[in-house]
Amino acid sequence: MRKLFLFTMMTLILASQSFSQSPKIEFTEYDLSNGLHVILHQDNSLPIVAVTTTFHVGSKNEDPKRTGFAHFFEHLMFEGSDNIKRGEIDNIIQNAGGQLNASTSFDETKYYFILPSNQLELGLWIESERMLHAKVDSTGVETQRSVVKEERRQSIDNRPYGSMFEQVFSHSFSVHPYRWTPIGSFQYIDQATIEEFRDFYHTYYVPNNAVLSISGDIDIAKTKQLIDAYYSAIPKGTRPMLRPTEVEPVKTAEVRDSIFDNIQLPAVIQAYHIPAQTDKDYYAIAMLTNLLSEGQSSRLYKALVDDKKVAVYSGSFPMTLENPGLFIVYSVAAFGKSAADNETAMDVEISKVQKELISDEEFQKLRNQVESDIVKGKNKQVGIAYSLAENYLFFGNTNLINTEIEGYMAVTKEDLKHAAQQYFNKENRTILYYLPKAKKN
Amino acid sequence: MLTNKFLKSVLFLFTLTVLVSSVMNAQVDRSKRPLPAEAKAVNIAESKTFTLENGLKVVVVEDHKLPLISLSLSVDNDPVAEKENAGYIDITGKLLRTGTKNKSKVQIDKAIDFIGASFNVSASGFYASSLKKHSSELLSIVSEVITEPSFPQEEFENLKKQAISNLASSKDEPNAIADKLSKKIFYGENHPYADIESEQSISSINIDLCKEYYSKYYRPNISYLSIVGDVTLSEAKEMATKYFGKWKSAAVPSAVLPSPSAVLPSPSAPLVNKVAMVDRPNSVQSVLIVGYPVKINLASPDVLQARVMNTILGGGVFRLFENLREKHGYTYGAYSTLDNDKYIGSFSASADVRNEVTDSSITQIIYELKRIRNEKVSTEELSKAINYLTGAFAIQLETPQTVANFATNIEKYGLAKDFYKTYLTRLSKVTPEEIQSAAKKYILPENLYILCVGKQSEVADKLKKFSIAGKVDYYDVDIKKIDPNAAVLPEGVDAKDIINKYIAAIGGKEKLDGVKDRTMEASMTMQGMDVTITTYQKAPNKFMVKTSFQGMEQKVYSDGTKGGSSSPMGNKEFSEKDLNDSKFQYGMNSLSNLEAFNAKLKLEGVKNISGKDAYKISITLPSGTVLTSYFDKESHLKVRDESEAESPQGTFTQVVDYNDYREVSGIMYPFLMKTSVAGMAFDVKVTKVEVNSGLADSLFGE
Repeated sequence: MRKLFLFTMMTLILASQSFSQSPKIEFTEYDLSNGLHVILHQDNSLPIVAVTTTFHVGSKNEDPKRTGFAHFFEHLMFEGSDNIKRGEIDNIIQNAGGQLNASTSFDETKYYFILPSNQLELGLWIESERMLHAKVDSTGVETQRSVVKEERRQSIDNRPYGSMFEQVFSHSFSVHPYRWTPIGSFQYIDQATIEEFRDFYHTYYVPNNAVLSISGDIDIAKTKQLIDAYYSAIPKGTRPMLRPTEVEPVKTAEVRDSIFDNIQLPAVIQAYHIPAQTDKDYYAIAMLTNLLSEGQSSRLYKALVDDKKVAVYSGSFPMTLENPGLFIVYSVAAFGKSAADNETAMDVEISKVQKELISDEEFQKLRNQVESDIVKGKNKQVGIAYSLAENYLFFGNTNLINTEIEGYMAVTKEDLKHAAQQYFNKENRTILYYLPKAKKN
Repeated sequence: MLTNKFLKSVLFLFTLTVLVSSVMNAQVDRSKRPLPAEAKAVNIAESKTFTLENGLKVVVVEDHKLPLISLSLSVDNDPVAEKENAGYIDITGKLLRTGTKNKSKVQIDKAIDFIGASFNVSASGFYASSLKKHSSELLSIVSEVITEPSFPQEEFENLKKQAISNLASSKDEPNAIADKLSKKIFYGENHPYADIESEQSISSINIDLCKEYYSKYYRPNISYLSIVGDVTLSEAKEMATKYFGKWKSAAVPSAVLPSPSAVLPSPSAPLVNKVAMVDRPNSVQSVLIVGYPVKINLASPDVLQARVMNTILGGGVFRLFENLREKHGYTYGAYSTLDNDKYIGSFSASADVRNEVTDSSITQIIYELKRIRNEKVSTEELSKAINYLTGAFAIQLETPQTVANFATNIEKYGLAKDFYKTYLTRLSKVTPEEIQSAAKKYILPENLYILCVGKQSEVADKLKKFSIAGKVDYYDVDIKKIDPNAAVLPEGVDAKDIINKYIAAIGGKEKLDGVKDRTMEASMTMQGMDVTITTYQKAPNKFMVKTSFQGMEQKVYSDGTKGGSSSPMGNKEFSEKDLNDSKFQYGMNSLSNLEAFNAKLKLEGVKNISGKDAYKISITLPSGTVLTSYFDKESHLKVRDESEAESPQGTFTQVVDYNDYREVSGIMYPFLMKTSVAGMAFDVKVTKVEVNSGLADSLFGE
């Protein structure tokens, strides 16, 4: 009795603590007349600044006969501009003590520089240069063709389970452009002409399709002046952008397939169709991920790895995307265990979530995890700058970085059960088995 | 009216121009790279240290930006070799978190997850973090796990099973294979860094080993605890004392103190370049690691210069990346690391490259290694590297644990107290001369292990040229050395039979026995010089090989009872072993008279030579010398001879490939002999073969 009472007290105390202790991220945002959206967050604790640019273009904007284009273009953006010689961007940034990289997803292509804060202007110069007049020439295209092929070989073709992403998406989508992944196909990049690359640039790499988000040791007024000086002359884009209108039909039957790969341990992937990331169920779906796979007490880890010992690892994550995406549950079999053993165990866990309300204690655990994850997500300037940009771009609400905790705290135990019932259904899923090649035939 | 209208539009134009130019004035000159504003000082947060009574050293760094706290422990014992029980130390670390005096694994997992914390434990320490408000709960679990583990047998068995599963999955992962290969080859059999797990080693682990390891090494008096985040010094002191004060100290055995059983081996770079590979038949890329072990640690006086040097070579988007990726398009990324380590460090350059350019990539890597040694870096390139590292220093401070690591390193390596405070100043003063001397000391392009995990059938032959001995060592995915031909021993074929077919194919024993003497002239070009080789042979075992170039002559000869060599460098008589071996190697028709030489034959397997399968046969002479010959499966002709020769630089393999067989007096002779030795290749072309011309016996003496 006493123990229970203590526990309830603790839960109450925890629940009553407000979440205000996570510092608020203050920011300024505005549009330039050419449509560039600017977000500035000032944090002078270290003399560094993150300059990020997010373009609202990803693999879903590609022509099905030109997959891999958005990602390929990400590589071309490091080639140079009218005023920056080929191959110099890396050099200049490193010379300034900075670091840089970029990435391409289904929905966006984003670039970052982390610089000593006295080099802010340099960062703005390079980013505005390549938004105004990036260099797209045949030398650059030829080199990057080889590089991107090696990237694909390294991350997909030469890696056990490397094709998993591609296979999951191609099996789950028949109509929507999420059916191919950002790395795309060799053949299309080889077929594309330099004119097509230039067209792509002039269509999507325009200020009215971009967010410039800067976070770190800056002075807001000065930064505004610099942005105005470097960006205001960049003309607004006028070409029509391809925004997919395809709606993936509601699934009525489970899709099931086996992939034979160079592996020893079989794996199972279940992919459930879920709504777009702006849907009301987004928070519940994200919390279901915690329930199923955050920590060793999570449902999947405990059942499949520790209790039944059918898996060496099991987890889940939502691919929450701008358009309806997928909730992926996966498991790699323990030595001597089969894919079927794993699928059965996964189904048991999924069905428990659908049938039984979770306990108060487990529910509180999810809330604590969410709170902790949100605070930990604010430890780096690049992360903050990207979050601000994405909140603006996809949710139309930059301030979500400060308020998303409320969205999570509003989720009830019933919401979790309901979301599991709504989305984690047989007819709504794709099941892939990864099996050792030796087993084929 | 007209005028007015005109005027108006002029005015309008004028206004527009003013407007536009005022906008333009706010613009900048895009053709010029903007200059930096005045640089700000990079301040390293203050760290405070204290020591508990049990000897635990504690480092505290306050950072109140986020309501988080993190703790990390580093147990600083000397490395311990696991040998036949490889894997047990890793399991020991994991086992700690699976049970304490008062808690089961389920309870520990629940408690950690409930507060949204993270907690990872290994044999070398732990990392834990949570929101500040949960710090007492976190600390109480962490302290229980570290000081009162219960080593549950059932969890131990689970961990062993998991280790075997993980091992299975790592055998498919090319980078994991390459990593193991490099450990084994760099550090050798007996060094703890070369311990490699196998099913057998994991199965043999007994829980007592884990308990013993914990009680011997997991001790506060050799450990560093860092407490970082939203915490004050006095809070940290209270935490450390309350939760780690009861942890018992004890003397910990050392592996570096000179005691006969405990001395660590001291691996070093190989004397000459060596090549090793693991076959992964379905690979579409070769994972390359080019490197060696090297002595360097944080306390080395030139560690900073060495770091800048490695940065220029390949520590980011620098030379290797520019060359292999941006210039040649061989790879998605090419980098190098110079890993400093308290016991033994390593240098390695690495890249994943497509099969076809495997050898070209190695050539470029070696080119860059030589370049940084042989040429002084420009001041521009040096300042780029210095600037990059200066920036990186500030950027890493975003993670508050960095400052705690600084303080721990100072203690562990006995560095100057201001080592990190003066880091940027010292960095700014590094000179091109210092870079070159660091390169000369740490970059060893003639002493490389060249390691490859990839598709053997496509890449192995192209790797041979990088080995001084012209050979590749093969390992399986368990990093056991293997003979790649051993596995494919053909059934129903025997070595004698293959030799007989060869004899028949070149003309038959009768024809060969009819040859009483033979003269063969051949020529080749070596480093631009013409070389002629004339071989005289007379039955049963006389020979004279004359090699002449630039007016000089070298002879190797035997009259059947004695022999030797003579050259401008001096004369040498054969030992009895050399005499007998040379009679077989240089004498006429040895293969058709094997019985006379008492040579033993063995079929070793089938190997692909220049695209065709060939039988590999070893011929062991009574002296113990082993020669290897390859005979084409279809034509039965001899296509290759391999022999090994000792030299001060190691064992060399000489390979002769026989091509272009032509008939002379009813017998087939190879007219093109592609010879390679010590990484050099020559085409020896036969210009004339003459038989039974009545060679005098006097020809075969000195």
